[in-house]
Amino acid sequence: MNQTATIPARVLVTKIGLDGHDRGSRIIAAFLRDAGMEVIYTNPWQKIETVVTLAMEEDVDVIGISSLATDHLLVPKLMVALKAANLGHIRVIVGGIVPDEEETDLLEAGVSKVFHPGSGREEIVVEVERLAREAAAERPED
Amino acid sequence: MNVSNPEKPNLATRLINGEVAALARAISVVERDTPNAINVLRAIRPHLGHAVVVGFTGPPGAGKSTLVNAVVAELRTRDKTVGVVAVDPSSPITGGAVLGDRIRMAEHTMDAGVFIRSLASRGALGGLSAAAAQVADLMDAAGRDVVILETVGAGQSEVEMARIADVRIVIAAPGLGDDIQAIKAGILEIADILVVNKADQPLASQTKRQLEAMLSLRAPAEHPVPVLSTDAIARTGITDLADSIETVAARNERRDDRSALAGRSRHLLAQAVAKAAESYVLESRSQAVEAIILSVQEAQIGLSDAAKQVLNTIHKELDD
Amino acid sequence: MNKIDTNAPIDDRTTAASDWKRGFDAQVSDTKTIRNRSGIEIDPLYWPAEGSDPAYDEKLGFPGSGPMTRGIYPSMHRGRTWTQRQLIGLGRPEDFNARIRKILKSGASALSMIPCNSVYRGLDCDEVEPELMGTCGTIINTVEDMDICLKDIPIDEVSVGLNDPNPFTMLAQMLVVAEQRNIGWDKITGTSNQSDYISHFVANHMFYRLSLTGARRVQMDTITYLAEHVPNWNALSVVGQHMQQAGATPAQAMGLTLSSAFQYAEDCIERGMDPEKFLERFTFFFDISISFFEEVAKFRAGRRIWARLLQERFGVTNPRALRFKFHAQTSGVDLTRQQPLNNVARVAVQAMAGILGGLQSMHTDGYDEVFTTPTEGPAKIAIATQNILKHEAGLCDVIDPLGGSYYVETLTDQMETEILRVIAQIDEQGGMFKAVQSGFVQGLIGESAMAFQEAVDTGEQVVVGVNAYQDDDDDTARPSVERPDPDWMQGQIDHLAKYKSERDQDGVTAALNTLRAVARSEDGNTYGALVDATRAKATQSEIIAVLRDELGFGQPLVVA
Repeated sequence: MNQTATIPARVLVTKIGLDGHDRGSRIIAAFLRDAGMEVIYTNPWQKIETVVTLAMEEDVDVIGISSLATDHLLVPKLMVALKAANLGHIRVIVGGIVPDEEETDLLEAGVSKVFHPGSGREEIVVEVERLAREAAAERPED
Repeated sequence: MNVSNPEKPNLATRLINGEVAALARAISVVERDTPNAINVLRAIRPHLGHAVVVGFTGPPGAGKSTLVNAVVAELRTRDKTVGVVAVDPSSPITGGAVLGDRIRMAEHTMDAGVFIRSLASRGALGGLSAAAAQVADLMDAAGRDVVILETVGAGQSEVEMARIADVRIVIAAPGLGDDIQAIKAGILEIADILVVNKADQPLASQTKRQLEAMLSLRAPAEHPVPVLSTDAIARTGITDLADSIETVAARNERRDDRSALAGRSRHLLAQAVAKAAESYVLESRSQAVEAIILSVQEAQIGLSDAAKQVLNTIHKELDD
Repeated sequence: MNKIDTNAPIDDRTTAASDWKRGFDAQVSDTKTIRNRSGIEIDPLYWPAEGSDPAYDEKLGFPGSGPMTRGIYPSMHRGRTWTQRQLIGLGRPEDFNARIRKILKSGASALSMIPCNSVYRGLDCDEVEPELMGTCGTIINTVEDMDICLKDIPIDEVSVGLNDPNPFTMLAQMLVVAEQRNIGWDKITGTSNQSDYISHFVANHMFYRLSLTGARRVQMDTITYLAEHVPNWNALSVVGQHMQQAGATPAQAMGLTLSSAFQYAEDCIERGMDPEKFLERFTFFFDISISFFEEVAKFRAGRRIWARLLQERFGVTNPRALRFKFHAQTSGVDLTRQQPLNNVARVAVQAMAGILGGLQSMHTDGYDEVFTTPTEGPAKIAIATQNILKHEAGLCDVIDPLGGSYYVETLTDQMETEILRVIAQIDEQGGMFKAVQSGFVQGLIGESAMAFQEAVDTGEQVVVGVNAYQDDDDDTARPSVERPDPDWMQGQIDHLAKYKSERDQDGVTAALNTLRAVARSEDGNTYGALVDATRAKATQSEIIAVLRDELGFGQPLVVA
């Protein structure tokens, strides 16, 4: 029996850097869970290399980084580290407070999407599902 | 369809060679039951039997993840490599899940000697993921010395765990009266080791005594079940627990024992058949099934007779 | 509670009114008559005539006494208005110093200091990803950094607000700087703004450095130490802001904050301290959402509950101890990225609610907070907003101007009931410490956050520009961000290396070992040892690392 069609997307919801405000990441985790996804949730303050290990061990499709202070400035480093770990298929989204010009930097670094305050539940869920499908399609089957 | 790259060793080989990324991917392949899954499972067969599989179960709030974290730390000081399968329940309605067990195991994330994977139960009977047994096999084949299965106590899961694990640990939290009742109902039969965690709490010793009293009512066993006290946060009692695990592991039948494996395969097959029959009834819109459903609805036949009729229908369909 | 004594003789009110007037006159030297634009003379306070509204005396009374509902001082804003406490913190210590001197020159009498996020995490600049350094506050790692921050600033004359979470390393640095300048610690005044470790454990993990039990120990050691050595310092500010920002309703935020304050009071009493004395130094810090009347009622109800429950629970009679002194900040959560200039209007309404709720100190957000850490232009508008409300709108002319409104009084009573319900829930959990340790409080807040988000998603809660009145052409006034120059960050790292190489390393090691021994012993005072280690030139990170080692790391309880 092939269950591939019904397998839920796996999403790592985490925070890197220094900030610890988790209202946003908790709400997003609950949204995604309620939309039928499997969410791996962590403490704040993850290091880049830890996020890469978590993403690898948990074989996730999407990584969601919540950033309310300036921690999004580290995301380009994460993108490089993911590629180096042969995890380039994983889609990365950033949610939180990101200034316009730095959003451009993030997208150029390979981030798939930046969600700002006020983004709606439906919008986020639909986008994450779409990105998870993209990632799954690119995932090396080995 | 197996699209493995001929240039590159296949997934199973890489896994057996200890490549963690391959283990991670193989778990997904098996969990998703992709066409490659059976190839992987076949390829690892000769490499099974090294690991000791230790099951941890207990009610929510008993501190399972924290205890597993402490035990993993202890096993690492004993130079054991460890695989952890942490199972959390999926929502029965949406199928989604927040997998947060590894939050309490963060100290091991960057240790290459520890591999942690979170699984959602995905509606499997009893809260233990259907794939958990196979995931344990993958970790075994990948050379992990100890594989820990952590699952929330939800009635059936203890029994499921008992079939997969070599060492079965049941965790109780102090002072939960109902909890003790639940344990009475069936867990005592399967536990190799009982643990009262949160030993710093006032009711811990009382709970320990209650458990010991319950055990004393049973027929005398060759190997009495120890009741251990731990405080996973303060890391007390962990050495004793790890010693106890080693003692039981050395004594118990191992999974590579032929009859044990046969028994496990029988149960796994039974589960898979039940799951297939369930999907058939839920998704089939065949006239025959609709007719059986109607007769159940109108109380014309009992459920067990109806089930037999369904199996007959499936049988006929396969013949056609 | 709130029983109506219909037999109260009416001349009680006359007596209370004249008591109030005496207090008012003593506080207000400027007796200038205030008239509105139509020439009507405006009294500082209005209250029901004798014989009417028998519940008045028990529920409202007069500002500065009795139930305290209408305010904690007889004169309130008609006398001294609130302190405008804008938080600033920027880049290097010398940048901070330049800016603060400018601000003091323009007449300010108080200064606030925010350190870099790396400092909040207990990390020195040589341990942090350089991208993150100095983006949100000043890098203050050593006594020397603090000395530069405070260069030419008369720290015996200005009141200092330190965003300095447990274990209070910045305060220790400032005390050592005072010593070096031969300034007695009794001259040091101000507040540890971010001293509520419970609120950090629940809702602001960035500030949460030590384990819950470790932070509790250091908190009590610090309060005890400061009461003895730095008598004019407010060691504790109990914070409701983080919890409301994290999603608690206004009533929950008030109830939980009061429960925290009761917990701290009980902990102090257990240390043998006298509530009549230490409670004088308790202050609070709240969030002001845009739910205008709800916020006004929240503050009035909170003030009344605090004064009453301190008497009931701890038998406090000292009127100074019963005063519910609070700082408030307008809520960043209410601000929107869409049509950002609308945020100026939102902040004004939030600020009005805080003023009419009777605050003592306020921070107004810049409209650009949803884009970035506030920049200078929007920060100026935020301050101007306060001045407009104060001088043009006349909000300070009358004390508690909404008092007596049928709606506001009913709502105040209802909020009081709701707040008391929350307090009772926490009492049932065995107090705030246990209720956060078990995750009960986090669960409550999480549910409220989800419920609010649900209301916004369904459109039940209208948010202009977000789920209603959208306007595609809303790119107005998006600020551009400034990030610190990476070069001078390297300079800061070099500076720290030099500092470390030039200090007496044996002295540092000895002081840190003493700190470790004291932390390990159960009865020594960790804060005294911490000040000693700071004096011996240990960095904040070195000090916090020792405490984390001995007392546990501040890992938040994540309730997913």
